[in-house]
Order: sequence, then structure tokens, then C-alpha cells
Amino acid sequence: MKTLVIPSNLKIINNLNCDGVIIGIDKLSVNMPCFKLEELKKIKNKEIFVSLNKNIHNKDLELLKETLIKLNDYNIKAVIFYDIAIPNLAKKLSLNYDLVWNQEHMTNNYYTINFWYNHGCKYTWVSNDITLREMKEIKDNTKSKLMVTLFGYIPMFTSLRPLVKNYLNTFNIIDNSKINYIEKEGKMYPLINNELGTSCYTDFILNGLKEKLLLDYDYIVLNSFLIEDDKFIKVLDIFNQVNFDNVDILENEINDMFKNTKKGFFYEETVYKVK
Amino acid sequence: MKPEILAPAGDIERLKVALLYGADAVYIGGNLFGLRANAVNFTIEEMKEAVIFAHKLHKKVYVTVNIVLHNKELKFLKDYLMKLDEIGIDAIIVSDPAVISIATLNTNLEIHLSTQQSTLNTEALEFYKNLGVTRIVLARECSKEDIKLMKQSGLEIEMFIHGAMCASYSGRCVLSNYLTNRDANRGGCSQICRWDFDLYNKDKELLKGDKNFTFCSKDLSLLKHINEICDMKVDSLKIEGRMRSIYYIATVVSIYRKVVDDYCNNPLDFEYNKMYENILSQVANRDSYVQFYDGNYSKDCNYYNNRIEISNQDFLGVVKEYDKKTKLVKLEQRNYFKKGDIVEFFGPNNFGFEYQINDIYDEDMQIIDVVRHPKQIVYLKVDILLEEYDFMRIKVDKL
Repeated sequence: MKTLVIPSNLKIINNLNCDGVIIGIDKLSVNMPCFKLEELKKIKNKEIFVSLNKNIHNKDLELLKETLIKLNDYNIKAVIFYDIAIPNLAKKLSLNYDLVWNQEHMTNNYYTINFWYNHGCKYTWVSNDITLREMKEIKDNTKSKLMVTLFGYIPMFTSLRPLVKNYLNTFNIIDNSKINYIEKEGKMYPLINNELGTSCYTDFILNGLKEKLLLDYDYIVLNSFLIEDDKFIKVLDIFNQVNFDNVDILENEINDMFKNTKKGFFYEETVYKVK
Repeated sequence: MKPEILAPAGDIERLKVALLYGADAVYIGGNLFGLRANAVNFTIEEMKEAVIFAHKLHKKVYVTVNIVLHNKELKFLKDYLMKLDEIGIDAIIVSDPAVISIATLNTNLEIHLSTQQSTLNTEALEFYKNLGVTRIVLARECSKEDIKLMKQSGLEIEMFIHGAMCASYSGRCVLSNYLTNRDANRGGCSQICRWDFDLYNKDKELLKGDKNFTFCSKDLSLLKHINEICDMKVDSLKIEGRMRSIYYIATVVSIYRKVVDDYCNNPLDFEYNKMYENILSQVANRDSYVQFYDGNYSKDCNYYNNRIEISNQDFLGVVKEYDKKTKLVKLEQRNYFKKGDIVEFFGPNNFGFEYQINDIYDEDMQIIDVVRHPKQIVYLKVDILLEEYDFMRIKVDKL
């Protein structure tokens, strides 16, 4: 099992004790830090997964196509996609890297994962909206290489609308925060509003340390969004050294470090019929 | 060629109303795999009835099969799709490619791609065309220019023209899952986007406007652009709202029917009629806007009014029967009315006429002055011929 990190910045990457990184590219990626294409060359000895995961509008297609072609020169492992424009373009372009299906909240069953596998996408980044049992069933029923997020704040909402900016403009409020928060019933949810729209994250940090030992996935993902660098490096060390003997102690260590950790949907199924 | 008017129908009564009031097709949900798990929805038997009713009128029935599937749901899917095929459903609306592949392998069902896939570009559209999809329901974020481009693909294009909006890209919101444990992408959305929140800056200091922060957007209305949309040869115009009332469906469908017919039958003489907008506003839950159609999604799209959603108060009653000899109409009450009120009847075959309520009779034919009980049956004498599913509403301001 390999560990991938969504890093907070470029400088920290080469000091991280991980197998690879997931990074975004300016104007084509959401819910992660974005860099310029040429900055990829600064990353050494890491598998590089490039997440081009924004919803692609017609006006984005030229840039997307150009970027997919240029990425052939950057020795990357795979492109992670949300929009179906990418697998369609991949059929027409000669790309020397793999594709990762990651439609965020839709990567929930093995049949669809196999569909994408048969369409040339050899990896899937599995959703955090399903239970651990469902994640295991997926593993048992697919040849796709699987990755799953086991640490960090989870994106819950992605919109084209500049919701914070619209609110500030409506009520003539001045604020230049790069991150905002919304609060309901004592819970604070991080909110990012940039030129690509608005994203909202969970109020808690997912802590899936124990689940790392229970899942036989190819990659786990640790997301450093909103986590201080020193604490994140400590978390990464913990994930690297965890085993069945020390897992309880180490899991508590993470919980003590952050106070707002949770298990997400690992053990709790969502419902949809309420009447 | 006129575009199809596609209406929502949460149950068989809504379906009949939508088709009678001018929809060319309806979309419905079954008890499985639809994104409105908490609507009444249709059993297979009811779907059969729906298909027979629609096909007699030379109209169509589409079934939503657009949830995001989990492992455990997969085993029921094939049989369900085969049943839909057997009973003559005209198309299924899907979002998960797994459903597309199972449907194409096992049925002859026509496949429409749900807006849940947020199709926004010609490359994605080409991918689905090659899979056998015949129609794309465009993402609500498409602009007018996008729609024109997508139309060149040769696929049928369906677009939303009226109703509530998701605040996020469709399919890209699980606020409901995390805040209420209700699965947004499997039909359980609890509409967290309508909640209000306090907004804070990076230092967690309150940013206080006159109203609270919300994700909520105004509703969509493209009434003013229907002529332009017809000119773009969009194939299907979709109205949102499978959980809306029969009155809402009748009102909205009849207005769009009228506008599409007016324009397509005589484009050179077409003029926008403000009265139609007034009628639509009477059944609206919140203010409406053209949203992404004109490429503008600034503050005008957002909705901060905290308005309590109390639509349908204009809806006074539904006609159950009309006796041509006695000219008595049997009416089922939906909101309070009384003798002397000036109201309006409208229906599939009449666009609205004014009527002052005179004598009101209860079921024992005793005269009463006030009708205050929900679903109370009363009789009124009306000289103009009425039909089942005509409605009585508060008189509309025609200005």
C-alpha cells in the first residue's frame, strides 16, 4: 500500500516521507492546491498524480487538451479526472500516463468502477460517502487499482457560483479572506471561494488510521488542507508506522492532536428514504 | 418543429394533469433508483397505467433511474430495467454509466443522460453518444453559447427552463449526507442549500449582513427566452419539480405550452406577454432569474430573502365533474373561499375566465357561505363548460 499526499505547498513536497503526491494545475483543478505545469519538474522521487478535476466547460477544452498533451513530458503517473471530457480526449491523444476515475461522490460501486476500467481508466479514487464494508466489496470485485482518502477535511460541495463574493457584494461587506467559514449549530465548515467557484468542506478531519490496516487498497491519500505543516508531517509519520500492535495508541495521538476527528461514513450508512 | 415540453409528475394524478395541460412528455420516478426517494413515486403497475394514458394522447413517459448506485443496489437493476422496457416506457434518464451499460445489454430502452452528470462540453457529450445515449440533459450551468455548441452534436438536447436550482454542480454536493445523514445522490437530499448560516472570515470573525449567508439560489425561469431557445432547436424543455402540486404543474405547463405555441405558430408576430410572468409568479416559491443562461452568475442569482415558502395559496379548488344540464360544477376545495369572491377558472381547454362566486352548495345540496375545510366537496353553478382537472384560483392580475 502506497501513501499519497495532497500537499499544502510545493516546498514541502520533497521533504515528505510519502510515495507520491496529488496536485492540481491552475485553472483546471478544484479542491486542492494548484501549481503551474512547469513546477512539476521540481518534484523529485515521487509518483505524481495530477488532478484535473474541475467541471470542464466548452471554453476550458483548449486549455485542457493542451495540458493533457504537455503532461506527456512530465513523467507523471496518472491524471485524475472528474469530467468525462478527459477520457474522451484520452482516446484521441497519445497519452503516456494512466487515468484515475474520480467523480468524487459517484465512485461508489464496483460495477461502475469496472466500467471505467474497461474504458481504459486503470485507477479509481473511491468515494468517502460509503462504508468500509462497501469499500472492501469493491476491492473484492474489481481489477482497478484503488485509492481512498484516509485523512483530512473532505470536500462536500463544489459550485460554479462565487457564493462568498456574492454575499459580500449583496450586503456591502469588505473581506479579503482566502478562506472563510460558515457556522451552524456550533459547527464550523471551511469555505473556499476563488475564480473557479466555491467549495465547502466537512467540519471534521477524517481519521482513517485504523482503516488503513483493514483495507487492502493500492493507495491511501492524506490531505493536508488546513493542517499545519508540522502536524501534518507528524500525521504522515504515524500513518507510515502504524501496525496492529500500535494502532490504538497512534489513533488516539491523532485525535488528541486535532480534537475534531471523525470516522465519516466508514461505519455509518447514509439513508435516503425518510417517509 | 416545436420543442417537447417535458413536465415532472410525482404520481399518477400529477402525470394526468401535466399531460392534459399540454406537456408532450412527463418524467416520473419508480420506487427504486430515482432521485426523489421521498416523493410518492410509481409502482410498476402505476407506470403501466401512466404509459397507457400517455400513449393514448400520443405523449411519452420517461423514468428516472439516476441515483448514484451502491454495491447492494446493483443486483436489482437489471430486472427493474427489463420491466420498464416490457411496459413500454419511452426512455430512462440515467446518470451512472453502469446503468447505461446494463440497459444497452439487456433492453431496448432509449437512454437519456441525467443532468446529474453535469454535461457541460462537447467532448463529454461525444463520449456518451458513443455509448448509445440518445439525449443529453444539459448541466444547468450551460450558457446560451454552450447550448448552441452542444446542439451541433447531433444528439437530442434537453435543458431545464423552469424551477428550483441546485446551488452546486449537480452530483457534486453531499452537504445533505454529512449534515443530516440523508444521501443526496440517492434521492434523500435534505436541501441544506436552503439553510442559513453565519459567515466568518479567515480569523473566524463574524461577517454580518442584513440577512444570513446561504447557498440558496433563486429559481430558474427562461420564459423571456423561449423564442430564442426554440430558434436554437433545443429538443426538449424541462420543467423541474416532481414533488410540486397539481396546481403548480398545471399552471407552469400551461403557460409554457401557450408561449411555445404562440411563438412556433407565428414567430413573426410573437410578443412577450407580461401576463404569463404574473401567472407564474403566483405559483412561485421564490424569486426567479435566468441563472447561467446569460453567463451571469453574480449576486443577482442568489436568494437571501428568508421568505417562507407558501405557494399555492391562490389555488382554491379542482373540478371533479361538470353537469351540462344543471351547470353545476363539483369542486374539491384546496384553499379557503367564500360567496362573493371573484375567482378564475382555467383548464387544458380554457386559458382562464373570471367568475364571481354566487351560491355554494355542500354535498347535501344545502347552501353554505364559506368553504374552509381542506378537500371539502362543494357545488357551484357555472354557465361556462368546465372539465375534470380544471382549476379555480384567485383572479390573476393581467397587467
